[in-house]
Amino acid sequence: MIISWQLLIMLIFSCLFFAWFLYRPVKSGLSDDESNIAINKQRQEELAFDINQGLIDDEQFQVAESEIINTLANELKDKSSHSIEIKPMNWSIAIFILLSALSIAIYFQLSPKFLPSNQVLSEPMSMSESIEKLQTFLEENPDDFQALKMMGLAQIGIGNVDDSIETFERAYQINSSDIDLLLQYASAIAAKQEGQFDGKSKELIEEAFNLDPQSEQVLYFSGIVAAHEGDLKGAIELWEKALYLMPPDHPDRNIIEEALDTVMNLQVK
Amino acid sequence: MLIEVGHFALILALVISVILMVVPSIGLYQNKTSLSQLAKPLVWAQGFWITVAFFVLMSAFLTNDFSVKYVAENSNTQLPILYKASAVWGSHEGSLLLWVFVLSLWTVAVSIFSKRIPSNLINQTLIVLGAISFGFLLFLLFTSNPFERLMIPPVEGRELNPLLQDFGLAVHPPMLYMGYVGLAVPFAFVLSALIRGQLDSTWIRWTRPWTLISWSFLTIGITLGSWWAYYELGWGGWWFWDPVENASFMPWLVATALIHSLSVSEKRGAFKQWTVLLAIGGFSLSLLGTFLVRSGVLTSVHAFATDPTRGLFILIFLFVVIGGSLVLYTWRSSLLQQSNPFSMLSRETGLLINNILLVTAMLSVLLGTLYPLILDSLNLGKISVGAPYFNAVFVPIMIPGVIALAVFPYVRWKKDSVSRVFNLLKFDWICVVLLTLLSWIFITKNIFVIVAIGLFIWVVNHVMVLFLKRLKAKSKVTMAFLGMVIAHLGIAVFVLGATVTTQLGIEKDIKMTIGETQTIAGYDFVFNGVSPHAKDNYSGFIGDISVFKNNKKVTQLNPEKRLYQTGMPMTEASIDPSIARDLYVALGESLEGGAWSVRIYYKPLVRWIWLGGLMIALGALLAAVDRRYLVRVKS
Repeated sequence: MIISWQLLIMLIFSCLFFAWFLYRPVKSGLSDDESNIAINKQRQEELAFDINQGLIDDEQFQVAESEIINTLANELKDKSSHSIEIKPMNWSIAIFILLSALSIAIYFQLSPKFLPSNQVLSEPMSMSESIEKLQTFLEENPDDFQALKMMGLAQIGIGNVDDSIETFERAYQINSSDIDLLLQYASAIAAKQEGQFDGKSKELIEEAFNLDPQSEQVLYFSGIVAAHEGDLKGAIELWEKALYLMPPDHPDRNIIEEALDTVMNLQVK
Repeated sequence: MLIEVGHFALILALVISVILMVVPSIGLYQNKTSLSQLAKPLVWAQGFWITVAFFVLMSAFLTNDFSVKYVAENSNTQLPILYKASAVWGSHEGSLLLWVFVLSLWTVAVSIFSKRIPSNLINQTLIVLGAISFGFLLFLLFTSNPFERLMIPPVEGRELNPLLQDFGLAVHPPMLYMGYVGLAVPFAFVLSALIRGQLDSTWIRWTRPWTLISWSFLTIGITLGSWWAYYELGWGGWWFWDPVENASFMPWLVATALIHSLSVSEKRGAFKQWTVLLAIGGFSLSLLGTFLVRSGVLTSVHAFATDPTRGLFILIFLFVVIGGSLVLYTWRSSLLQQSNPFSMLSRETGLLINNILLVTAMLSVLLGTLYPLILDSLNLGKISVGAPYFNAVFVPIMIPGVIALAVFPYVRWKKDSVSRVFNLLKFDWICVVLLTLLSWIFITKNIFVIVAIGLFIWVVNHVMVLFLKRLKAKSKVTMAFLGMVIAHLGIAVFVLGATVTTQLGIEKDIKMTIGETQTIAGYDFVFNGVSPHAKDNYSGFIGDISVFKNNKKVTQLNPEKRLYQTGMPMTEASIDPSIARDLYVALGESLEGGAWSVRIYYKPLVRWIWLGGLMIALGALLAAVDRRYLVRVKS
């Protein structure tokens, strides 16, 4: 987690803002009674307007007017009581502690472990630069699951399959129930086996399927395993289900549709 | 670092909403004014940080910062700048941030324009609004964080859904959300009144203008959505009764009932229980719509399982809001018992009929929307409920409503007699019957169109006579009255436009070769061919069609067939608009021998649909600035 000076300024600015209003509160406006009196007075004026317009007759006017008076009588509470003074300093400190503790704790939970450098924003980092950066980070945080996963992906990206398998295995030892990791790990092993999804690779996909049989990605990979085993019907079922679950504009639809076409053509032949 | 500033701003807003729920509540409970008055500064600070977060995300889109996962998934360097800005709300995470941003705008607006509202009521209302924003910020940050980062940013982003690469995305969702989220304000007023046990004239008075404004935005949002679908989807339709449309239409129907019910509660102290239920119902339907659209349950009930966290969170939130409100309502119902009596024939009865019809219509839409989902989730098969069901059920419910809206403004409050109303309006009724008969003889024999013309004349006649009587009596024409006149005329304009375009519109789906002419409704469409066409974010073909009437050139239409990076083909219709009719052409597929399939539509009075919608919205806005809501009460 990175707490920079900008975030601290945001925090302090917020606390000072609230402290200012604790020392100098916003002026209180109307009371309920004042408001109800004004509104019912306005209603009486509207009633007078209605009778002048001929919208109601005298009898209706009398009834409606007494209703307004009764309503107002019921609404007036006379709950006038003096406001109790507070100690602004105590409340300012309490708000400061609450705001700081909660926001930093939540940010700690949600923030990325390290930030992409500014260089990334102007020109994309090369894959080897990414690996270097990740390696430095992993030296300090050897058990960071996300970083290990990213490292494995980056290593695959530069064609270093052996290293990626090793890295994915480290990540797997930390968290074996991450679907994304299971699929990436299986792909890396399959890449080493010339595209064959068998052995450990197949086991990993089965694990992912057991964890979430509704995931489109898992269904896609399970379909590949089925197709490799010659179970074309099973592959078609899995991919059709994946397509059914995918939103119509999902960018991966084309890949699954192509795979489905290929298998269907094979089945026809 | 800027992204982290946006991320942290959103977290600060969440924590501030917690403080907003706690500290001013202590102030109200213990009568410590300094603490209860802190509600406004808390709301301002929350609004400020949400605004910062929103614009940081927008800047990430504009500067192609693909280190943000959401940006990388919904934008790329080739996307035109307007679409980059509107892509902020083009997908799930951003549209929820827009929701939260709009809610903060409403909350800040309530805190600023509250000088005429009692302090305790306004502070309690801000606390309730803070609680709602807490729920949504929690949902946003923990299940749909738009600031999630990618450790290795991609060189290029993916593409925004081509359907959304349009000006309509820039205006339709913000307007719709202004309406959707705006219904949180009347809900918050009602809940505050229930919490405080102060169900007096004040909350009713101040709920109405906020309801009118949010209803107005909702009307504009739905109207813009209809217009967008009309020109963007290439099928010439303006309403499809699809579940997403229904999700916005149901709160609209309930909010329409609410503004009418509020007028009775405000003016005559009746319908208070009903008004409270409608305010709760309106916002609950807004949340239900969010659940339906955002949980993925509409794509398929099974899609819900692909992201159970999101769907479950909204479902729990929905349960807490509806359940909590109803528990409060039950607790305070004894305070709502008092209601002033009225007779069978009175304006109150008219507004009651209006409410019953609107709520029945909403229930029919709700049934049609949820029924296929329920069947699907119970594995009882897949069915589709479409326009035939909705038209058959919805239209007959609404026709009596349109008839009633013209007559009941003439009926007196509390008590009236049939003979007085009959004597007052008999010549108008004769006039309406005669004009409708003349339309039958000279204009059309189509029974649906005749009914629509009859309703149009009925409403316009009654509303204009009422308006002229007011002017003639030299009495003041209030903004509320003027708003009512314009909104009711808008209904008449909408009814005529919708019926005429549906019944008398002409559609031709044809094959055209170069130089070929097709004649539709007296217009000659000459196909001059198709040429390649490309822009930064797409390539494709552009057609060239000249339109003539009586051998005189009317317009040149250039429909497009676009192919975006994802390979998704898109049809861009070309339209010659006018108040009397639209000429609409869409390019289909390329056929053999240089021919193309072309869809040509003649759409009479189609613009009246959106004109009617805008008139209704304008009427509501005028009513919201009525003098009653502007006069300052001296403390």
